[in-house]
Amino acid sequence: MTAFDHSIESAVAHAVIGLDGVLRSADPALIALNQRAGGELGRPLAVPQLATLTRLARRLGIVVSRGVVVADDEADIDLWVRAQPEGDTIRLAVSGWREVQPWRSTARTGDARAALLLGDADWRWETDASLCLTFVSLEAGPRHGFDAFALLGQPLTTMFALDSGADGALPILESLARRRAMTAQPARLRGSDRPVMLSAQVRHDTTGAFAGFIGAARMVQPEAPIPPADAPLSATFTSGLDRALRTPLARIVANADSINAQADGPVQPDYADYAADIASAGRHLLELVDDLVDLQAVERPDFTLAVERIDLADVARRAAGLLSVRAGNAEVGIARPAIDDHVWALGDFRRVLQILVNLIGNAVRYSPAGSEVRVMAGPTNGHVAVVVADQGKGIAHEDQARIFEKFERVDTSEAGGNGLGLYIARRLAKAMQGDLTVESAPGEGARFVLTLPTDTARGEDQRQA
Amino acid sequence: MSVGQDPVSDAAPPSIDAVSRAETARLRADARLANTIADFFLDADGRLDERTRLTLARVLDGIVGAIEADIRRHAARLLAGAGDTKRGEAVLKPSGRQGGVVARLTRAGLLHDDELMDELIARVRHDLIADALPIAIAGPDEASLLVRLAGVPDSVVASAASALLAAESRRRAANENGTVAGSELSAELHHRLVWWIAAAIRADLRDATAEGDQAITDAALRSLSAHDEGDRPEAVAMRLAAAIDARPEELPSLLVESIGDRRLSLFVAVLAQATGLAFDQARGITLEPEGDRLWLALRAIDLDRPTIARIGLALSEADPRRDIEAFADALDGIVAVSIADARAAIAPLALHRDFRAAMRALARSDRR
Repeated sequence: MTAFDHSIESAVAHAVIGLDGVLRSADPALIALNQRAGGELGRPLAVPQLATLTRLARRLGIVVSRGVVVADDEADIDLWVRAQPEGDTIRLAVSGWREVQPWRSTARTGDARAALLLGDADWRWETDASLCLTFVSLEAGPRHGFDAFALLGQPLTTMFALDSGADGALPILESLARRRAMTAQPARLRGSDRPVMLSAQVRHDTTGAFAGFIGAARMVQPEAPIPPADAPLSATFTSGLDRALRTPLARIVANADSINAQADGPVQPDYADYAADIASAGRHLLELVDDLVDLQAVERPDFTLAVERIDLADVARRAAGLLSVRAGNAEVGIARPAIDDHVWALGDFRRVLQILVNLIGNAVRYSPAGSEVRVMAGPTNGHVAVVVADQGKGIAHEDQARIFEKFERVDTSEAGGNGLGLYIARRLAKAMQGDLTVESAPGEGARFVLTLPTDTARGEDQRQA
Repeated sequence: MSVGQDPVSDAAPPSIDAVSRAETARLRADARLANTIADFFLDADGRLDERTRLTLARVLDGIVGAIEADIRRHAARLLAGAGDTKRGEAVLKPSGRQGGVVARLTRAGLLHDDELMDELIARVRHDLIADALPIAIAGPDEASLLVRLAGVPDSVVASAASALLAAESRRRAANENGTVAGSELSAELHHRLVWWIAAAIRADLRDATAEGDQAITDAALRSLSAHDEGDRPEAVAMRLAAAIDARPEELPSLLVESIGDRRLSLFVAVLAQATGLAFDQARGITLEPEGDRLWLALRAIDLDRPTIARIGLALSEADPRRDIEAFADALDGIVAVSIADARAAIAPLALHRDFRAAMRALARSDRR
């Protein structure tokens, strides 16, 4: 019932009200609140919720405390009110004073947070104010090797040995001192000594005092040994991943998109925005699934591609075309090979398109607004090449080798990208007897060069209509 | 196997089956309308709120499901042990024809049993209200009431308090996850329910045999003998209240503290112990939203105005059906009732339960 969040320490404003309901004296904050509700000193208390509580405390003759939400000008304010009868007056102590979002039900936020916190727990526990256990999930006992019944009434530390966090402090102490939720208290389960992570909501009593924890415990899985760097992903793993993730992800993206588009009726703008975030994160994960499937393919020793004669200039134009909307949104121009340019190469059409989409996409992402990404195709040293050049901030020399590694990114501070694109692109280029290289200096943009074997049979046709 | 169309069966006229299906649909629509009308005209006072209704359904499903699973498993084991694995499997698996035992018993009207539903509704309400009670701690860093009682030197009190902690945890796990360990019903109700379920299991079998009947009977008897009504939180709370055996001057603080520790079962048990009521009687008056009989009971044990006010306030915070304003208005009147009058007023509640039941039945027949 204590839905009010006491975690934010705030000033307490006092007031004295007569048995007739008249406001006798008050601190400035309460005077102001009362005035805005149309009242004044010496007249009946004008804030309805406070008046009701005062009247109730007077009639019951006992302390009444309760969280209330009062309207104050444009905003709603969340208050914790304690009304105490004292002789022929009622003393009010009002704390909290937090503005609440009108659409967010105050009664539910605490519950929702707790539910979120407890959602993925292995088991739950609760304590009283003395940190003695008053509840432990019974079904967890046999699974994790403790007797839940024997632990009831015992101190929390009978169940867990608490460890200090990364900063050397005990999160539980911080939580107790500040009356705030405890989010990551490392501990070990007594008996088995297995590591667990504890989190808990603080429970308050009617006066706002600490009344115990509503907690969750999650077993910490020991870190898996890091596989050797060149261990290929197994084909069954990635195909399983593909199958397991693609359908649910597609459904998440589709549903989030329709929430965002408000297809089934209006929703709060905030929620529509959340839905857009969910959809974009979902798309990111779908791309990752695609990349992992590719990664598994390119790392197979017998990986081959269907090499055929392709027009590199044409593929570059198509790739640029695919990204023109994104570039337009970013106010970046793309200069593509002229329509009558033909650069004949040997490669896999789909894979070359994939590489170029990746390169041009990166270039657009790192280009400042108003700049241009240039895509050029032509013969070079017995090969043919496509150059994708941007006017972004460039890549430092020492980073140029790194960005072609697995899970490395040009700029880790930027959002987007999973660090697989360039790695896969270079592997694909090499599988076609070509290469992918970068030339860049900080502040001068980057030039990615994809080289492929020339189609010697048509070499003489290069750049001819 | 014919691949093309079969001119005979495809051209068949509307069959008897279609007509009877239409008739069934019409009957179902009629029944649905009757239920909807009954629902609309239900007195708001007697209507369950959604939360109570859903919890009640879950508890009922959980209890019936647990007993059913016990009986099916044991009966199947007995049959398999006697070499009749086929029949054993038939007993083990519900046929799906009846839509489950709860649905079968509901259709038969058996679950409309007053006593059973009274007990289950009261239990669900009790648990929901207990969960919603505002906490009041005894002091900073001080252990809660039940934890303190579990640590007292008096071993009778301590073990009863530990048992109540355990029983309430078990009940909570059952309410939250639907994992019911046993029915936690009184012996009579459990007895009734076990035989109903056994009958429903038998009715679900395609071919009833003497061996099958015997196995179901033995399994039901086993479930009955394993049932210990002393394990119920209600019974454990009564044991604790009896062990504490609070003196009159200790009652106010014990009652207020049990409410503040959200141990409504202990509150009810202490009240029952002090007034000489049965637990279910004391629980009934504690859960009544008007509270009139509770205030009388509290007056009968000489509680003062602030104590009654605290109890009334806490119960109002936890139960949206209660009207705190009406309680505040009535408080002076409540306190004005003399102890003797209050005792006289609640005396009929303390009569033997069968006697009370008989009187109620008589009054009902008079009304007809």
